[in-house]
Amino acid sequence: MARIYEDLTPLYRRIRVIQRLIIALVILMCVFIWKMQILDYNRYWQKAENNRLREIKLTPQRGLIVDRNGVILAKNRASFKVSFIRENVTDMNLSLERVARLLSMKKEELAARLAKYNSLPDFVPIVIKDELSVEEVARIESHQMEFPELRLAMEPQRDYPFGPFASHVLGYLQEISLAELRHRKNQGHEVGDMIGKTGIEFQYEEELAGRKGLVVEVVDSLGRKVKELVQRPPTRGNKVYLSLDYDLQAKAEELLKGREGAIVVLDPRSGDILALASFPNYDPNKFIHRFSPQEWVSFVQDPRHPLENRAIRGLYAPGSIFKLVMALAGLDSGLVSPWTTFFCSGTTIIYGHPFSCWYEPGHGAVNLVSAIQHSCNIYFYNLGKLLGIERIAAYARQFGLGKLTGIDLPGEKTGLVPDPEWKRRSRGAPWYPGETISVSIGQGPILVTPLQVAVLTGMIALRGKRVTPHLFLQVERRKELVKYSPAQPAGEGSWSGKQTIFDRVITGMWKSVNAGGTGQGARLEGYDICGKTGSTQVVSQDTADKLKRKIKTHSWFTGFASRDNPRVVVTVIVEFGGMGGQTAAPIARQLFELYRRKYD
Amino acid sequence: MIDRIIWREIDWVLLVVACLLAFIGLAMIYSCTRLLPENYALRQLVWLVICLLALFLLLYIDYHFLVEYSYYFYGLLLVVLAGLVFMGERIAGTRSWIRFSFFQIQPSEIMKLALILVLARYFADYRRDKITTVDFLIVSWLAVLPIGLIAWQPDLGTALGLFPIYLGAVFLAGINRKLVVVLVLVGLAIGLLGWNFFLLDYQKERLLTVVFPERDPLGSGYQIQQSKIAIGSGGFSGKGFGQGSQSQLRFLPARHTDFIFSVLGEEFGFIGVVIVLGLYALLLLRIFQSSLKAKDRMGVYIAFLVGVVFAFQFFINILMTVGLAPVTGIPLPLISYGGSSLLTHFLALSLVINVRMRRFTYI
Repeated sequence: MARIYEDLTPLYRRIRVIQRLIIALVILMCVFIWKMQILDYNRYWQKAENNRLREIKLTPQRGLIVDRNGVILAKNRASFKVSFIRENVTDMNLSLERVARLLSMKKEELAARLAKYNSLPDFVPIVIKDELSVEEVARIESHQMEFPELRLAMEPQRDYPFGPFASHVLGYLQEISLAELRHRKNQGHEVGDMIGKTGIEFQYEEELAGRKGLVVEVVDSLGRKVKELVQRPPTRGNKVYLSLDYDLQAKAEELLKGREGAIVVLDPRSGDILALASFPNYDPNKFIHRFSPQEWVSFVQDPRHPLENRAIRGLYAPGSIFKLVMALAGLDSGLVSPWTTFFCSGTTIIYGHPFSCWYEPGHGAVNLVSAIQHSCNIYFYNLGKLLGIERIAAYARQFGLGKLTGIDLPGEKTGLVPDPEWKRRSRGAPWYPGETISVSIGQGPILVTPLQVAVLTGMIALRGKRVTPHLFLQVERRKELVKYSPAQPAGEGSWSGKQTIFDRVITGMWKSVNAGGTGQGARLEGYDICGKTGSTQVVSQDTADKLKRKIKTHSWFTGFASRDNPRVVVTVIVEFGGMGGQTAAPIARQLFELYRRKYD
Repeated sequence: MIDRIIWREIDWVLLVVACLLAFIGLAMIYSCTRLLPENYALRQLVWLVICLLALFLLLYIDYHFLVEYSYYFYGLLLVVLAGLVFMGERIAGTRSWIRFSFFQIQPSEIMKLALILVLARYFADYRRDKITTVDFLIVSWLAVLPIGLIAWQPDLGTALGLFPIYLGAVFLAGINRKLVVVLVLVGLAIGLLGWNFFLLDYQKERLLTVVFPERDPLGSGYQIQQSKIAIGSGGFSGKGFGQGSQSQLRFLPARHTDFIFSVLGEEFGFIGVVIVLGLYALLLLRIFQSSLKAKDRMGVYIAFLVGVVFAFQFFINILMTVGLAPVTGIPLPLISYGGSSLLTHFLALSLVINVRMRRFTYI
């Protein structure tokens, strides 16, 4: 209808003008580009070759890591590396052979290395060997003209002056993988970069990494510099102070030498970790080389798991250590009073099954304090029966078991506080009352990490106040010093119930060490150490067999000093160490001794 | 209201050509950003899916209805733009983005659609042979308001992108010589005033380097230089996907947006260039053909103005990469990276399809 009244011809005329214009312009553009790409191709190609930008990233010095007193734990040293530029190669096969001979590498190894980066453009340099010796540097330099595909560069390399010292805390660096290269949002990374893979090196990567320097130059096809466009020097990374104390850490590692186990020394007031040792350890210097497949495999396959940080990732049954939680739970719930006694004859029957105390003759009548002092099982079997598993689990969680402590290291494990709900979910079976009795003395499915035990001990020492353990003390940026500040508000996770419940438990711990209890191995004249031992049956017979161990128990000790002025917590676990009093307690004593000499 | 017969009239040629161009764009974006931490190609792909959905959804609405309500849409966008100018968050130096949790939107891009619809409405019943001065002034105001606000953000590229819509509408309505002279004079006056009072230093610098590319060795003159080298060194068949040394080295700051054509030229050579130019010519001619086939004046205007938008950006962008036009920050529609631009241009195509498929309906 509308159309009848409309005369659109002037519009059509104008539209056709535009259409013709477009056709003409597109043809002109094609001609123009044809001239550029076909007629002037050689000129532009030459320009692309001769006027090519080369970006050289200058690796910054990584930030130092030092202990609380400034002892340097990680620094940098100069190192030479050589890169391979595939683009400059005419005959790849021949080149690989010659380069392999020059660098005394295997040709296959070299080829495999390059194949890894196949997806990158050919002009990207790929590091093929680092840690070059002086002779190698000289050899490459003198043959530079015959090897246009090789490029030498110097870069600072991470150096851990004490080798394996505190390796699990410091972590190690490795070359960034292609996947990480794609996923890391904090741009600036490129092929061949070394980044923190674990430990403090990973956790504080952003502080430590520093900023790359940049040189942009125009180079010709032979790589000769024509002119320099940008020049920005690298910025070194920030210096990170750890709360570690070199002497305590060294002592802890010395005491663990030749065994498997972990030690945590913690200041319960601030959460400062003074020592965090895990054994066996490894030398992080070995990971810095861009290639050490053999060593890597041997580390990963070692049945002693040297790469595993046992202090935060080792899962152990707490054994008698758990009796501390049981005692606190009993007092808080009012199910037992300090004067409640149970009779220990060495064995008892609960739910129709015999359960025995570790001390066969029996402890006689025991109250709460003497039960902790002598680590009497019978007392806690009875207490566990009164409490029931739900209540035990709830208290254990209130004291930080079964959840992360929040330490500033990657990979911490939560452990496990079992309850009927857990068992239904994971095993599809109901909870048996007998299991409650096992859990009461820290056996059965319950699992904790040494760090959780240390934090728990700190809570007892400070009568319920809980801190987040941390290794970071402060960071020295260019001008400012930034101190540690807790991520959580102070008092988060602290005990909010009765304060009085801690007194008796601490008394029991004091007696355990100082009045002929199980912990007397930790006794130190004139120093009020309070502690608790533990021994746990090794769950897996296989593991023990594989390591050819006769003793099948892990040895625990955790304690703090001093009784009235708690300033330090020491937690020790020695795998296959036998009874807690035998092995772990004397180790703890030496650490208490050193701490007292140094700080008290 | 929707007739099955109408659906049969969807312009599949246009749609397929547009999708081909978008896929070529995706490949080029992937090629020059695959080593960056951000996954640009994937984001663009997600946007492409959204755009196609939006395109089909918009087809459900008769364009008469859209034009009917265009003043509200236009007014709302003006308010948003004004709000951005005064309260917006600066991203990359301009206040042209609204940031949502995981993407950002540029209302100034969408303004193109609003302006097209408003102008189509204004001229829908315009029966004169030439535009009168009064109408010209009113239309000028309709265009100047958004252009001014966008230039104020400051986003000169997008503001410039609105200009051809306005000029196109006036041209289509018919303009006499006297007005052209006046227009040129006014343009000169605005240019002089703008240069002295409104343009920011970097924008002046940009304009200056257009004339004297040597002024700034690492700036826009250098970009043009490098872009020309990239295209020229591509030769007949290009250096191969992902192998362009000019494109892969990071001297082109906007290689996945404004200079995507240079990447194409370097990596796929003259063959790639001819394919893309050919596809684009097909797209443009098809749009203008839809304009010729529209059943009423309103439809003619809509399709024509969309065509003008595409043509202008296409020519300016390509000419920029070969060094014949200034570096103004105008992306290549459908090919360059950028969600708002992709969405705007797909919706614009949706309008053209809308006009074409309803050409036989008389309500």
